[in-house]
Parts: sequence; C-alpha cells; structure tokens
Amino acid sequence: MPMDRRSFIRLTAITGASATLASCGNPENELIRFVPDEDIIPGQAVWKPSVCPLCSAGCGLTVRVMDADAEVTRNGQAGVVRIAAAKKLEGQPSHPVNQGTLCARGQSAIQVTYHPDRITQPLKRSGTRGDGRYDAISWDDALTELVGRLDALASAGNQTGLAFLARPGASHRRALVDQFLARFGAPGAVTFELFGDDVLRQANGLSFGRPQLPTLDLPNARFVLSFGADFLGTWNSPVAHAVGYGEFRRGRPDIRGRFVQVESRMSQTGANADEWVPVTPGTEGVLALGLAHLIMSATPRTAAGAGRAGALVDGWAGGLTAYTPDAVQAITGVDARRIERIAREFAASGPAVAIIAGPPLAQTNGLFNALAVNALNALVGSVGQPGGLFFTPQRDLAPAGSRASRPATSLSALASGILADGESPVQVLLVDGANPIFTAPRAWRVGEAIAKVPYIASFGSFLDETSGLADLILPDHSFLESWVDAAPESGSMVAVVSAAPPVMRPLYQTRAMPDVLLDVSRRLERPVDPPLPQAYEEALQTSFAALPATRPELGDAWAAVQEQGHWAGTLPAGAQAPAAAPAARGPVTMAEPQFDGDASQYPFHFLPYPSAAFLDGSLAHLPWLQEMPDPLTSAMWSQWVEINPATAARLGIGDGDVIEVASAHGSVRAPAVLTPGIAPDIVAMPVGQGHRMFTRYASGRGENPVGVLAPVTEATTGALAWAATRVRVTRAGGPDGRLILFAGGLREHVEHGR
Amino acid sequence: MPRWGMAVDLDSCTGCGACVTACRAENNISTVGDEQASLGRAKHWIRVERYWEGDFPDVRLKFRPVMCQQCNNAPCEPVCPTYASHHTEDGLNAQVYNRCIGTRYCANACPYNVRFFNFFNPSWEKPLHLQLNPDVSLREVGVMEKCTFCVQRIKATGIQAKAEGRAVRDGEIQPACAQACPPRALVFGDLEDPDSEVSRLSASPRGAALLEDLGTRPNVTYLPRLSQAI
Repeated sequence: MPMDRRSFIRLTAITGASATLASCGNPENELIRFVPDEDIIPGQAVWKPSVCPLCSAGCGLTVRVMDADAEVTRNGQAGVVRIAAAKKLEGQPSHPVNQGTLCARGQSAIQVTYHPDRITQPLKRSGTRGDGRYDAISWDDALTELVGRLDALASAGNQTGLAFLARPGASHRRALVDQFLARFGAPGAVTFELFGDDVLRQANGLSFGRPQLPTLDLPNARFVLSFGADFLGTWNSPVAHAVGYGEFRRGRPDIRGRFVQVESRMSQTGANADEWVPVTPGTEGVLALGLAHLIMSATPRTAAGAGRAGALVDGWAGGLTAYTPDAVQAITGVDARRIERIAREFAASGPAVAIIAGPPLAQTNGLFNALAVNALNALVGSVGQPGGLFFTPQRDLAPAGSRASRPATSLSALASGILADGESPVQVLLVDGANPIFTAPRAWRVGEAIAKVPYIASFGSFLDETSGLADLILPDHSFLESWVDAAPESGSMVAVVSAAPPVMRPLYQTRAMPDVLLDVSRRLERPVDPPLPQAYEEALQTSFAALPATRPELGDAWAAVQEQGHWAGTLPAGAQAPAAAPAARGPVTMAEPQFDGDASQYPFHFLPYPSAAFLDGSLAHLPWLQEMPDPLTSAMWSQWVEINPATAARLGIGDGDVIEVASAHGSVRAPAVLTPGIAPDIVAMPVGQGHRMFTRYASGRGENPVGVLAPVTEATTGALAWAATRVRVTRAGGPDGRLILFAGGLREHVEHGR
Repeated sequence: MPRWGMAVDLDSCTGCGACVTACRAENNISTVGDEQASLGRAKHWIRVERYWEGDFPDVRLKFRPVMCQQCNNAPCEPVCPTYASHHTEDGLNAQVYNRCIGTRYCANACPYNVRFFNFFNPSWEKPLHLQLNPDVSLREVGVMEKCTFCVQRIKATGIQAKAEGRAVRDGEIQPACAQACPPRALVFGDLEDPDSEVSRLSASPRGAALLEDLGTRPNVTYLPRLSQAI
C-alpha cells in the first residue's frame, strides 16, 4: 500500500485510538476498530441526491454525507467502524417541486434510517401473531420459505390467492410490484389512504379529462378561493405550494395575492387566509354554485364557456337560477352579502382560481362538491392558464404490455372477501410498509381479515399494527441505502420523475424490496415469463434511457438522475401516461350531505384531520416529529380534541379536561383543547397518535380517532366519507397530564398565563 | 465587519414548522421526551408562536417564528458572571458552552425566552447519534444553549470565500431555518451591506422589532402580516 501523508495520519489515528481504548477500562468494553469499507475523508462533507419517501409529493433531497463511527458486529466481534453516514436532509435546489426547501416531515426522514427500533435482519415469527416475538433467520431461508408459499399457490392454480398491500404514490418501485403481480397472475396491489384523493381525481377526470391532483400556479394567481384544501400543510404537494405561496404574497411588485379559505375548522392553511369563511359541512358545492350563479348573471361570462365541466352540473346552462344568494345563505350559513362580495372579487381580480380538497370531498356528496368547484374554475377560465390550475404531465411508468391484467380491488372489498364464510381467498399476503389496520374504519374489520390470512410477509422496517401480524419479515433498505424513486403527480408545471442512487451503505442485513421481489420471481418453480428486469436499478436505467437529456452539461437523462436526483422536462411522445377516456356522464344534481348518527343523539360533526406532524399516523415513530409543537396548538407527544370555547363552556369542559367523543361505532378519549377556530357544532381530532404497536416513541400514546369513524362512503365513487360521522361529547374527567404544550413564548405572555 | 441579521416576513410565513425541525437537525438539539417536555424542558431554538384574535366566526390566527433576536443591547450579556454569554464583533449574542456554569441569569434576563437550559445530559438512542452534525458541539448538563444564527455555517462560508479571495456574497450564508423555509419568509444576511436583501427588507416601513420598547435593539426585524380586510 503506498503511504502518503493522509493515509499515514489516518493509520496513526486508528492505531492510536485502538491503543488508548485497549489500554484502559474493562475488557468487555474494549472496542475494536475495523478497517472502513470505503474511502472517507474525515470532516469533509459530500452532498448526494435522494428522494423523500414520506408522502407522495416526491420532493428532491440533497443529503449531507460525512464520516461517523457506527457500532457493528463482524464475525461475532463487536466493534466500531468509520462509515460515510447521512447527516442532514435538505431540499434539492434544482428540483422543480420543492425548489431547495423541505418540510419538517421530510427533514425528519433521516430518523427512519437511524431509528433505534428498525428491523435489522429477516425475522420469522416465533410467538403468536401480534405479540412481537420473532427469531432471526437468514435471507436464504427466508426467501426459500416465501418462494415455497408462492410455488404452492402456483401449483394449485391459485395465483389469485396472492394479495399485495402497497403504499400509495406512483413510482417505478410500484410499477415493478405491479409487473410482478401481473406476471405471477395475481390481482393488482391494494392501496388505502384514509385521507385519499380518489373523489377529486374522479371529478377532475370527469370535468377536465385529467384524473389527477391539480397544481395551483400561485406565483401568477391574484385570487385564491380554497374550499377546505390544506395546500400549505398536509395536502397534495404542500412544499411546492408553500414555495409558490411566498411568491403569491410578495414575489411581484405592487401585487399581493388575496386568499379566501372556506372551511369549518381552521387549518394551518386557513390561518394564512385574508378572509376565513366558515360554512356548514357538506354545503361547499352549493356555495360554489351560488358564486357561479352571480358571476354568470353579472359578467359577460356565459354558461357555455365552462364547457364540459359546466355541463356536468344540473341547471348550469340555465344560469343556476335556484342558487340565489339568499337560498345559498339558507343552506351554507354564509351571509348573502358576503357571497355577493366574494363573487365580485373572484370575477374581477383575475387570474383567480378555486380549489377544493379535504373535508368537503369526504362527505356523501363529495363528488357534487368537487364538480361544482371545477365548474366555477372553468367558468372563469382558470384551467391550464397562468395563475390557475395545472396538471403535471405524467410519465408512463409501466413498461409496454405489463399493465396488471386483473384490476386491484379496494381494501374494504378485500377485507369482506376474506371474512366471508369458508377459506380465505387470500392465502398469501405481502405488505409493503402499509398499515391499514391503523387507518381503516373499524367497521371494515381489516384487522380480523388480515389475521385470517394463512400467511403474511412484510417488507416493512418497523413493527406496527399490520406488520406485527406477519409470519415473515423481509426488511427493506431505508431510502438512503437503496435506489429510491417517485413520479410526482403534482407540484410542478413540467413533467418530473425523481430517482436517486443509494446515499450510504446499508447499516444492517436488509435488502431492497424491489430486488427481493425480482429475486423471488427468478427462484419460483415456474419463473415468471417473460422474465422481469435483473434489478431495480436496471428497470430505472431502462426507463430513463427513453427520456431525452434536459441538462446536457450533466450528460444523458440517466447520468443527470444520478447527479441531481431527478429528471424534469418535456416528455417525448410515447413516454406520457395514456390519457384515460373520460366517462360519459349526465349532469349531477345537488345532493344534500348525509351523516351517520342521529342529530339529536349525536349533536356534533366529527372531523378527523391529517396531523401536521404524522400525516395519517405513518410518521408517528419519528421522535423529532413527536417533539415538534403542532402549528395550531403547540402540543407535543400528545393527542387532543379541538372544541369551540362556547360549546365547551356549555358542556362544562375546561382546557385540558379529558373528554369522550363517541359515535354509533366507537369512542375515544383525549384531552380537550379549546380553540376559537372551530364551529360550535364540530369537534376535530388530528389522526396520527394512538398506535398500539409502532416503536418505542409512538406505542400507547393516546387513542386512535379512526375508531370513531362510521363506514359511510361517498355516494357515487364509494370513497370513504371520513368527515360524515356525527358524535356526542361528554366530559370524562379533569386533566390527566397527557396534554403537553410547548411552554415557550414571550416572557410577558408565559408569565401572564401562569 | 458584517453585522448579521434576519428579516422575517410574517406575510409569507405559513406556520408550517419546517424551520423548527431544520434547526434541530442542524444544531444537534436533543429531544427530551414526553415527561421532560411536560415539565417545560423541551428545547426549540426557534419556535412558531401563534396569536388568536377574535371569536368564532370572526377569528384570525397569526404565526410568528421567534428565535434569538441577537440584540445589539442584549440583556443576557451583562448578567453572565463568566462571560459565557457575550457579544461578538459581527453582532451575535454568542454562548461559550465551556465557560457556562449554569447560573441561568441570562435566561432570566432574556425577554424573548429563547435560551434553553440543559437540565440533564442529552442522549441519542443509538444509532440516532449517527445523524449528529460534527460541526456543532454537544451541550452537557448545566449548560445554557441558544440560537447561534448557525455560526458554523457563517464561519465555513467565510473561510471558503477567503480561500477563494473574494467577499461573502449576499444570500450565500443561510442558517438552517432560512434554508428550509418553503415560502422564503426568513431572510438572512449582512445588515452593514446596504444592498443586501435583509437590509432592504429591514428598512421597510413595515419593519418592527419584537418588544422594541425594551431597548434591546435586535438584529431581527419582523414585517407584520398585511391584511386586506374589506
């Protein structure tokens, strides 16, 4: 080995440290310092691209990598080795979605990799299901066992007995899963999102022929009218929209965008609005049509100008004469003069755009509400125009001829199929990081159904309510240890596909899920035909080879992906996802929202919402997020119920008192937070806490509000109407000390409060 | 000599808390867990305050990120018996951890409540410690800690610029909070440079210092939220 100055210093440092350590302390504490596997310059940071895996937004990361000492065991000997470790996640400046910034959740993703409760190697269940007892098993044995189960299905001709629970969001990773399932002969992967956007996708497909989430062109908009959309907090692509929001407010000389939020509980986004308009839940669509009626009658804009989006609304062509301000006031609770003023502003201060998401779509009449807002947008011409709504062009991720031959079913149908009399139709269930037992309403009995499946294998990195039932655990690499990719559905004006190579070597005996699946496909008694790619990386390379170079200084598309973690640009013909033919559909008539529970017995609307820290609960295991004060309440490590102070006074409930929220389907107890930003007939709870089993940081912390939800669905689309449950509220006791608020504030405020 | 300052545009701040986590990640701020947090011992060098106004339905909520205001006339400095809390040439209220003996006089004197005491030794359950930033020292029990404007980034950028024989460019130094902020509500820079973005924003007629009447002369300027009430 040639000895230069740097190697000499490194060697003396290593031998010096080992000598010091060897010469003191107890023999059992002696540390062996292994020779590093990689060339690292101590103290020098390297920046590598990656992709945030925590939500579907697909933000680009740049990861600071430096040396660190990791404790490892080699050949049975414990010791320390210097590794190149990820140190901090930051936004990738060139990424069109997050443009160099990153939300609190994305920054905490690094704790997924370094979580003390991460599963470090394949495990086989040794106890009863759900008690968390597992034995270590080798990868070879684990794969043999899984392949044996799949071979048994194939030889019995029961390929449809394989089911796959996947995380939502489009990616090559997901496309590989679908390819595997299609060629094996199994139905497509099942996904479930509690706060899913299926109603909006269907509505946008009907109105605009684009069944996907929209992106708001905030930098060019002058007026934004949002119906319940938490686009700066937890919905859609919040970082992309928050970047645009900064420009909306102060990016143009002499223009400050105006923003009106319509909702009945103030969200983090609503707190930023210039005007906050509370509305009766489920009547948002009526308000939108009331505005459209006024705009059509007062301006030169004609009903026909709204095209197909308008034609989908009953009475549109006739000018919506039934939706007079007074009639709309009677239904929505919004003052008629206020409706007139907002309509004037909306029509006059173009570019103006309306957006709807969240609770208004989670009603039994969600599709009606969405179509009404879409028609309003079409009326003012905001679709595809600067300052309006855009649809990010979508890369076709499925290689030719590999679309799932059998369509995926829904989670509720899967569960009821398994629970039907007789043997479970699902014999082998594969779970990839999804936790539907936590997020699905109790009435669907998803937990019971999964427990009835004879064999479950999980690729998850943590034991949670669902993966804790697995018979076999094949832990995935963390996103920093493997190739990672995402195809953002929104958040960018141009097409973008995020993908990046591993940032660091795997810490443990884990394997990338796509590669495990490809390995399984080759080990089968009858290997899948035609064969799948050799590796996840190969599938990515093939996909990017079809894309043109958009930054020639970085080389071709594949080289650019490895350099900056994404490809962005104009998709060539043939690389774009095929447009779905819009379903022909007659006009939708106004539908009143239906609620589960009698109003006399259950007087309050129950509004669960995605927690700012944990989204649907999938991030509750990250301690940084547990200790991040909630934007609206400053609560940390806690679960709570938000209630209007006047209502609380009437029920004898004080701040911090434990209250019980009960529906016809279940009840939950949590401390009360009195807040003026909620209607007197609504109680709201963040979803995220209340895990029975999800690492040391999240287990046993409060109760899961999903247990209160009724299995009501949106009438047309069948999506879960998670905002349509009525509840009663009673005081259950005084403060139990479990509501933890951040004590920090200006001294005069803090001391005044004491 | 520069004078580092920050302008906070409350009209752009969405209250999302990205700055809070960025600060924790950059500066090795330990989590304290639920029990200690309930005793008021959680450490957040930057926090997002919320101010509710009015009652339902005419209710408004305003956010305000608050970090050390890096006062030019800092109440925390003269009270420190060991000069752990002191003023630097470039206008920072610095804290020398190994001089601090934990009297907590500085925290008592600070009207902004932005100094945090280590009531116990911080811990990182392994391997969470692999994330620690080697550029920022860990603080042990009995030591006061606070926002430094990410002095490690200021120094590193200064050294880099000097090696390249040039001055530090405006916007080149970004504390972790400003770097993460999606709507770019936090703007950092040199207040002695009249052309810097932070100087321009701080000179805005909208600009105001927090608790200005105390005479602390902060280097942080807040631009209040605009309203378009009709």
